[in-house]
Amino acid sequence: MGRRSLWESARMSFRSIAGSPVRSGLTALGVMIGVASVISLVALGRGAQQEVAGNLQQLGSNLLMVYSGEPRGTALVRTNTSNIRPTLTQTDLEAIRDAGPDLVNLAAPASTSNAQLQFENRNAAVTVTGTTPEYPEIRNFRPVYGAFFDQSHVDARSSVVAIGMQVYRELFDAGTDPIGRTIRINGASFVVTAVMEEKGTAAQDNSVLIPISTYQRRISGDSAYAMIAVQAADSSVMRDLQAVIEENLLRLHRMPSMDGADFYVVNQLDLLATVEGVAGTFTLMLASIAGISLIVGGIGIMNIMLVSVTERTREIGVRMALGARRRDITVQFLTEAVLIAVAGGIIGIAIGIAGSWAAFRFARIASEVTITSVLMAFGFSLLVGLFFGGYPAWRASRLNPIEALRYE
Amino acid sequence: MIHLDMVGKAYQMGSETVHALRNVNLTIESGDYIAVIGPSGSGKSTLMNIVGCLDTATHGRYTLADHEVARLSGDRLAEVRNATIGFVFQTFNLLPRLSARENVELPLIYAGMSKSDRRKRSEVMLRRVGLEDRMRHKPNELSGGQRQRVAIARALATSPAVLLADEPTGALDTHTGLEIMRLLEDLNTEGTTLILVTHDHELAMRAHREIRLRDGEIVHEEIR
Ligand SMILES: Nc1ncnc2c1ncn2[C@@H]1O[C@H](COP(=O)(O)OP(=O)(O)OP(=O)(O)O)[C@@H](O)[C@H]1O
Ligand SMILES: [Mg+2]
Repeated sequence: MGRRSLWESARMSFRSIAGSPVRSGLTALGVMIGVASVISLVALGRGAQQEVAGNLQQLGSNLLMVYSGEPRGTALVRTNTSNIRPTLTQTDLEAIRDAGPDLVNLAAPASTSNAQLQFENRNAAVTVTGTTPEYPEIRNFRPVYGAFFDQSHVDARSSVVAIGMQVYRELFDAGTDPIGRTIRINGASFVVTAVMEEKGTAAQDNSVLIPISTYQRRISGDSAYAMIAVQAADSSVMRDLQAVIEENLLRLHRMPSMDGADFYVVNQLDLLATVEGVAGTFTLMLASIAGISLIVGGIGIMNIMLVSVTERTREIGVRMALGARRRDITVQFLTEAVLIAVAGGIIGIAIGIAGSWAAFRFARIASEVTITSVLMAFGFSLLVGLFFGGYPAWRASRLNPIEALRYE
Repeated sequence: MIHLDMVGKAYQMGSETVHALRNVNLTIESGDYIAVIGPSGSGKSTLMNIVGCLDTATHGRYTLADHEVARLSGDRLAEVRNATIGFVFQTFNLLPRLSARENVELPLIYAGMSKSDRRKRSEVMLRRVGLEDRMRHKPNELSGGQRQRVAIARALATSPAVLLADEPTGALDTHTGLEIMRLLEDLNTEGTTLILVTHDHELAMRAHREIRLRDGEIVHEEIR
């Protein structure tokens, strides 16, 4: 018998909500706004996180960068290495490649500096990178037109060049076939063999790539490399690979430890973890700000429920006289608060989703609504209803029937 | 059925103790019709509330249908009120948002009756009080007499053994009041114990038994 009357108490609270829609709507408004802001701010935080992580992934997959010199900042890829004194050698490169197929997939040396380009009467200031044929694969930066230089070009120190998309646009008229054309890099002639895909970053689109051997001869005059880009065999072995590289290179450089070593390794995985950590904190911060508005919404519910209990004191007395138990009264008022909070929550979720969609559609602000945040927001609005409805419902159930019946 | 043994009710008002009821000995058999009269403030409502298990005595023993009421838990008291007692109030106390029928269904909900049974039962009760064509009306769409009829139908819904009517005609004109009295008396004839609080000596004369209260004590009792 108990369960049926509890269900009926819940039904009565539904009627009471439907009976005063404006008041119920206004009461739910606080939770609605709270949930909508939780959803959209978390989506915004997640979006930012995704974007940064995505940018990092764009640099190449399972990427490790070995740099000459002492650690400088945490950038995974440095666009200009001309201010670094190169300390990495051919022997280092071979030692890295020899780490074995379980650990390492590809490795390519790279040195980068600024250069002046010239074609006919046009000029462009670009970065020039000397590297080997593995580079496009490692950096996920491939030719869209023509062919990247191969090992024979490296061996022969050929004057060939692969140009970035922005460089192509600056030097050539649209539609012109650049393959086979001769351009000048710092005055020296190079034959264009490829145009690289557009990556959307000046660091890549406004760069040209030449064989490392040619770079050493014509540009830097130094046989050492500023950096070595390494692609691990799998994301799971990146930290192992880093350890192996550090161990081998320390031995080759006759150094005791990474403290004060003349090279360092930056691991994409660690950067990703850092970025996600920062973005996670950011998201959490946004969520807690939004959470506060949810609590304010809850206080609004409590306020209205207390008023409602007072207004309906006589009703409560009548119900008690007719046989309502304390828990029937509790359930009736608690259900009312929970229904209001959950309805506010559901509408808030819808507004939040619509808001983040609109932010992307009209302002290109990346945001990602996750199922977790939706479930959390729903769960929280339920909890808010239970928590802030709990006290008024308890108050209602503790009323003395006679005093309640006498209440004017 | 109802047995009060030296029952009293005292309120502590600061340093003073107010005795709303004292030393009440009263036995009411099943099917009785009793009128309680007395001046304002003499403790009539207090007595009704104790008999109806809405309030508990501070002194003495009260047994209702072999249950010692003081020993019952809050939930059991609610069940007793639901199953054994029917209240009719001077001011009707209908819930304004609910229709006549839904008001009558209230005690049946707390009794755990199914929806279809409730609908049947509420219709029977409203027919019994002559309001079968007013079932969907809200209280504010009914006259005072009709409202009191709905309240009586509601009090009767769970077929309680005892009907407590605290000045049921107090808010009605003489004619309508008499109609309500006839309805209550019919129910008594059918076997329901009826306890009626009134100021009206003429109405009290109709009861089988009359109890007069003054300052919380029974000062006179007569059987007709
Ligand atoms: N909660 C309370 N606190 C203090 N005194 C109370 C309380 N309730 C009732 N009383 C007192 O108990 C006495 C009896 O009250 P009761 O309501 O039973 O009178 P009554 O006979 O029903 O009067 P009326 O005919 O006016 O309805 C009164 O003196 C009243 O002041
Ligand atoms: Mg009274």
